[in-house]
Amino acid sequence: MNQLYIKSAAVCCPDSKVLAAFNLQGSDIDKSLIPAGMRRRTSVTTRIAITAAKLACVQADVGTQNLASIFASLGGEIQVTDALCRLLPDKNELLSPTQFHNSVHNTTAGYWSILNQCQAPATAIAAADDTFAMGLIEVWAQLQQSSGERLLVCYDELWPQYLTPPIGKIAFACAFVLSAEPDQSIGAITLPQVSQQKEQALQADWVKLTKAAPAAAVIPLLLALQHKQPCIVPLNIKVPIWTSLLEV
Amino acid sequence: MKNNLTVIKPVAIKAFSALSTCGMGNKALYQSLADNQSQLAPLSLFSISFPAFVGEIKQPLLDIREQLAEYNCRNARVALTALNDAEGGVRAAVETAKDRYGAHRIGVIIGTSTSGLYETESAYGVLLETGDMPDDFHFVTEHAYQATARFVQLELGLTGVCYAISTACSSGAKAIAAGQRLINGGLCDAVIVGGVDTLCRLTLRGFRSLELVSNQPCTPMDKNRNGISIGEAAGLLVLEKCGADNADAMKVLAVGESSDAHHMSTPHPEGKGAVLAMKNALQLAGLKADKIDYLNLHATATKINDSVEGRAVFSVFGDSVPCSGTKGITGHTLGAAGALETIIALTALQQQFIPGTQGLQELDDECQCQVIQFPLQTKNMQIAMSNSFGFGGNNASVIVAL
Repeated sequence: MNQLYIKSAAVCCPDSKVLAAFNLQGSDIDKSLIPAGMRRRTSVTTRIAITAAKLACVQADVGTQNLASIFASLGGEIQVTDALCRLLPDKNELLSPTQFHNSVHNTTAGYWSILNQCQAPATAIAAADDTFAMGLIEVWAQLQQSSGERLLVCYDELWPQYLTPPIGKIAFACAFVLSAEPDQSIGAITLPQVSQQKEQALQADWVKLTKAAPAAAVIPLLLALQHKQPCIVPLNIKVPIWTSLLEV
Repeated sequence: MKNNLTVIKPVAIKAFSALSTCGMGNKALYQSLADNQSQLAPLSLFSISFPAFVGEIKQPLLDIREQLAEYNCRNARVALTALNDAEGGVRAAVETAKDRYGAHRIGVIIGTSTSGLYETESAYGVLLETGDMPDDFHFVTEHAYQATARFVQLELGLTGVCYAISTACSSGAKAIAAGQRLINGGLCDAVIVGGVDTLCRLTLRGFRSLELVSNQPCTPMDKNRNGISIGEAAGLLVLEKCGADNADAMKVLAVGESSDAHHMSTPHPEGKGAVLAMKNALQLAGLKADKIDYLNLHATATKINDSVEGRAVFSVFGDSVPCSGTKGITGHTLGAAGALETIIALTALQQQFIPGTQGLQELDDECQCQVIQFPLQTKNMQIAMSNSFGFGGNNASVIVAL
């Protein structure tokens, strides 16, 4: 495999100002995509991720029932975890069983598989500032092993600001349908590699946003796809900078 | 299914080491298994308001060096202690691989369910009292899921692919799957994989809220089983591409993965996802079911998990494969379980024995698969499987060979 083909890319960001600032197309949480019962049980992080994922699948016109997925997030269900952690200092406080099983990192992956009745493998990864780059690498390795398409979703929600500010000041999710086959692709990238790029050379507004919304690491790739502009795209904001070469 | 499964290449296991309540290293683990001795005991690490037997690591842990102080948490110390276990030789194997392939060609993929959450829990006590997190609270380098993987990478001076897999109780098994793919895809020449998870309040109290914690040492597959005993562990393995010089090493043949697509915390009643994970593993390894000589069950000792797994295993293997569940000895080590129990399967092959199912007194009437109660010496065992099933209906079955 020499290239990873991008079939679609979709963003969910409830803060429309963020999208406007980067001239990005994107959506707020789309309630119609998540049944009411599931919506009540799920966090914002799961809802932004599922919205982006659904939109990407529709755009790529790919069925979701057999689609293996990779959910990549720095903090995952941070609000659920936070709410539980606040109860722990009181030894007699009872935890909610639903909140507990919703605190695992693969919560979104689990709900996604239930929503789509999809028995294909779903994984949940995390790699701090490199989460998007490592997500692409996981997809690459999966497609080398067995062909077809993969869903990659990168997302992080609003975080309590006492954890590690400014991470989580902005909620942002992006989903891609990726394939080893070129048919109907909107672009193709090479395997992410560590580059010699320096942090100072990166676009400052993007770096600032990505410090607050880790999944915004996808933006240089999204913009290059939108402008049909072949280029080397950075995939994270801290050295070592991982990059891919985009062809459109 | 559209994602066709064709037979994949095995990868060599250059070294492996387990740290658990059984002690440090593979010999200590083997000793507990051979003696069929439960290591579960009342929790001592912190206090909780209900009785719980746990598989706690009792031996001293190594300290994190000053330069990596911001990674210092129980999870990282458990990882470091397993990494430095000379008998297992994980660190030495990575050093050799580093000389041979370069630091950038060696990946680190660690599974965990709660990473450094234990320290965060204490920090919340301070937060609620003072309104601020304590000064030594480092979310990204302690609590966040990749913290232990990144710590291992920095500790070993590696510079390549590095991430965490966190899919609850299948995390450790899925890390092995990811490592095998990275090597077979040519993205890495060697990968340190495994699972590291440590006891914390949220997990114990969370499982308690689901009414799944036993007030006695757990009794997998037993008729009267009444819940899990939680444990903690690090299971680390160094995987490398196969070549002439590691031809005699044990191998990972394949890892089959699947989703239940049923419920967040309850398995599919017919074990559809579990069956699919086992079948996928067999298909990827190019094996018929009768080639499996031993199966380490997930067997958590909850009513529903064990009955569903028994049904699933019977539907794939009938009653012909000897199976056992080892969580009555080690406890359920959650995100580390897939790695720890893969190491148990490797130990079974190495020592030519089948571990018992500690705690089992009377087999569940419903269970039709061949559950081994006491350890058995055997011979000619070549291939073993280890099952791991987690929340979110996330399943993985690992196949290893002598």
